[in-house]
Amino acid sequence: MNENRRQILEMLAAGKITADEAEQLLAALEPGTFATAGTFTGKIPVSDSSAESTVKTRAKYLRVLVEANEKGEPTTVNVRVPMQLLRAGVRLASLIPKQAHDQLDATLSKHGVPLTLSQIKPENLEELIDHLEDLTVDVDAKEEKAKVRVFCE
Amino acid sequence: MIPSFAILQVEATHFHMPRLWLPLFLLWIPVILLSPLILIVILGLCIAGRINPWRAIAVFWSILCNLPGTHVHVSAHDSKVLVRIL
Repeated sequence: MNENRRQILEMLAAGKITADEAEQLLAALEPGTFATAGTFTGKIPVSDSSAESTVKTRAKYLRVLVEANEKGEPTTVNVRVPMQLLRAGVRLASLIPKQAHDQLDATLSKHGVPLTLSQIKPENLEELIDHLEDLTVDVDAKEEKAKVRVFCE
Repeated sequence: MIPSFAILQVEATHFHMPRLWLPLFLLWIPVILLSPLILIVILGLCIAGRINPWRAIAVFWSILCNLPGTHVHVSAHDSKVLVRIL
């Protein structure tokens, strides 16, 4: 029995966790199962065997990569933003006064972006960020010779 | 964790700047010394803008503390800009 499994069973025996929680934790130790959402796949070594269990970890950064070729000259943009900074940035929207919200919403919808900023609330924030972790956007415009990748890591 | 260093590098056709390590932690000395004045200014601005000042401070502090790890690298033609916050 490996150390992680033993710890889980000890916690169950001590009544610190329920049988369901123990089952979830044991399942997370099994190879090929995923503990949390995210796109980066890390590996946790298992002490008593050569096998390694694969557990998904939370994405820490949002990466935007742009490769373009303008008039034969290569242009590259590589931006990495911490996910926590995105969380803080969304909270900043809650400080914007209502009048400014209305004006922003009107301008955004005028330009074809039907987004209501007032709907972005702190309680919806975690869900938004969690879904962002599963996001991967690949744009390959052959005519423009541009390639855009947006993903979490 | 508040940002302690920023790395800045700018390169252009006729301009080459070595990679600069900017010690941001040194900025905290004047900020701490001027903190009473800064607090009054923030309170005044928040009252004028009808924003909860404590919430505003919390949000800006959160943004500041989450800046480390930010990396921006733009390269076009003969120009290159690199900004990293550590």
